[in-house]
Amino acid sequence: MSAHPILKNTKNLILYLIVWFGIIASYQAVLTFGIRLELKYALADNLISNILLLGLGLSFWYSAKYISFENNSVIKIFLSHIFGGIFISVLWLVISYYLINSLVTIDEVYSEFFLNTLPWKFLIGVLYYFLVTAFYYLVIYYSSYQERIIKEAELKNLVTQAELKSLKFQINPHFIFNSLNSMSALTVINPDKARSMILKLADFLRYTLASNERQTTNLSEELKNIRLYLEIEKIRFEDKFEFAEDIENECLRIKVPSMILQPLFENAIKHAVYEALEKVTLNISARIKNGFMEIRVENNFDGNVSGKSGTGIGLTNIKNRLELIYNSKNLIDIRKEKNIFAVSLYIPIN
Amino acid sequence: MEKEINALIVDDEHLAREIVKKYLEKYQNINIIGECSNGFDAVKEITEKKPDLVFLDIQMPKLNGFEMLELLDEQPAIIFTTAFDNYAIKAFEVNAVDYLLKPFSEERFNEALNRVVERTQQKNINKENVDKLIEHHDQQPELLERVVVKDGSKISIIPVETLKWLEAQDDYVRIHSEGGRFMKKKTMKFFEDHLNPNMFIRIHRSSIININSIKQMELYEKDSYRVILKDDTKLPVSKTGLQRLKEIL
Repeated sequence: MSAHPILKNTKNLILYLIVWFGIIASYQAVLTFGIRLELKYALADNLISNILLLGLGLSFWYSAKYISFENNSVIKIFLSHIFGGIFISVLWLVISYYLINSLVTIDEVYSEFFLNTLPWKFLIGVLYYFLVTAFYYLVIYYSSYQERIIKEAELKNLVTQAELKSLKFQINPHFIFNSLNSMSALTVINPDKARSMILKLADFLRYTLASNERQTTNLSEELKNIRLYLEIEKIRFEDKFEFAEDIENECLRIKVPSMILQPLFENAIKHAVYEALEKVTLNISARIKNGFMEIRVENNFDGNVSGKSGTGIGLTNIKNRLELIYNSKNLIDIRKEKNIFAVSLYIPIN
Repeated sequence: MEKEINALIVDDEHLAREIVKKYLEKYQNINIIGECSNGFDAVKEITEKKPDLVFLDIQMPKLNGFEMLELLDEQPAIIFTTAFDNYAIKAFEVNAVDYLLKPFSEERFNEALNRVVERTQQKNINKENVDKLIEHHDQQPELLERVVVKDGSKISIIPVETLKWLEAQDDYVRIHSEGGRFMKKKTMKFFEDHLNPNMFIRIHRSSIININSIKQMELYEKDSYRVILKDDTKLPVSKTGLQRLKEIL
């Protein structure tokens, strides 16, 4: 913001000089063809006063910059600039007069012309000061406005990141401890199975930890992790559930938010499998439909189990996460029928 | 000669039951008389076989460990085995012998069994102290999501949303729900503390109502009101009850 808006790059400076060249040329035309002033005086008057204005115009930047709107009262700004305008205008006319006089000795005709136009010139000097200063204020306002917009966008982005982080799946400690307990039992009963379960849990934990670092991943990776998770749960719950996949081939490479499926399966295990006395079937299907990939996770449950409906935090988190990532609402659909619970996620494909 | 102890293992995970069995192998005086994988079976087994000791998981299908205990007339010695560490206080409230956090070591398991032996020798000595401890532990009571009741051999699970009103009846509370009427051996105070206060109001010394089952209120005699429920039950409202009703409605 502190760089001079005209001097900070050559393009602006050239533009400024072109404008001034136009002004000088037109003024010269008026003096020569309108007023028919002798060329010598016309040239001296024109060049000296206008080149002075050109230079002064550049210097007004500092008055605009140091008399800022934020730190000064309106009255103070107003008075400083009235005074500044008058002072600059008088200074300009005095210097012009002496320079012209030293360049071409002033005769009576020019002297008369100079005196006649003096009030107008004075007024033009003051207006010029106001105009250019106003322009500089505009530049300052605009650039600070832009800066604010950028900062706000950055801040919003930061908040979104933090929010996304908090919405991300958190590993369920009970799952870990119950799994460790099963392994502890397996080490005595079936050491081979214990080892295989340890390896599965290790892979699962590694994937979960890695997902803290990345926001999205392929559906195939997510599925691999879900299979691991379910295999571990299957060791714990033996034949209490079955898992079936129906995934269209093209879906496998589509990016999805990482660990987006885990809470869905954890819900299904917690509410359907933990609570059921009979076998539960978990289904996942994915297909492409109208520019979206629909991922549907479905399970049957014992309709007689009452209460314990859960807090729904898991599903709300998924909803908010999808909303933040894809900037779109209604990307989740939850259906609870007689004894089927189904959640559909709609992932936009770009 | 050590006393014979009959033990029952209740856990919905077979591996969790296996490890307990494994640790029990070297105890000659402990007989495993059964295993259950859910709360319903456990109630039946305990009532029939009357074990001295029960290893009890908390999170189980249908009935959790605590709900199951509520249904027992006579409580055997309980050792909780769970991955949840947030139920420890509650476990002592129900006078459990010990609380084993999964996974647990054999040493820790042996310690728990030693306590069982101690407990059988000096029964109930510590109960008072425990009660005091609980009293001092001034925590927000956990709100009920459902109530479990036993009528003979039939166990019913009543979601709290379906409760219409509760009525004091000597040592029991009569529960009027959409699914019928049930008796539960608890105090009115217990329900007053453990039911969602935004939904249930104690309108009288002898009744708590679900505000969703109110049809209307009427002036009954001078200065005294009564509530008419949707099933046309008419219940008197005490002065403090009226105050509470006004606050919430």
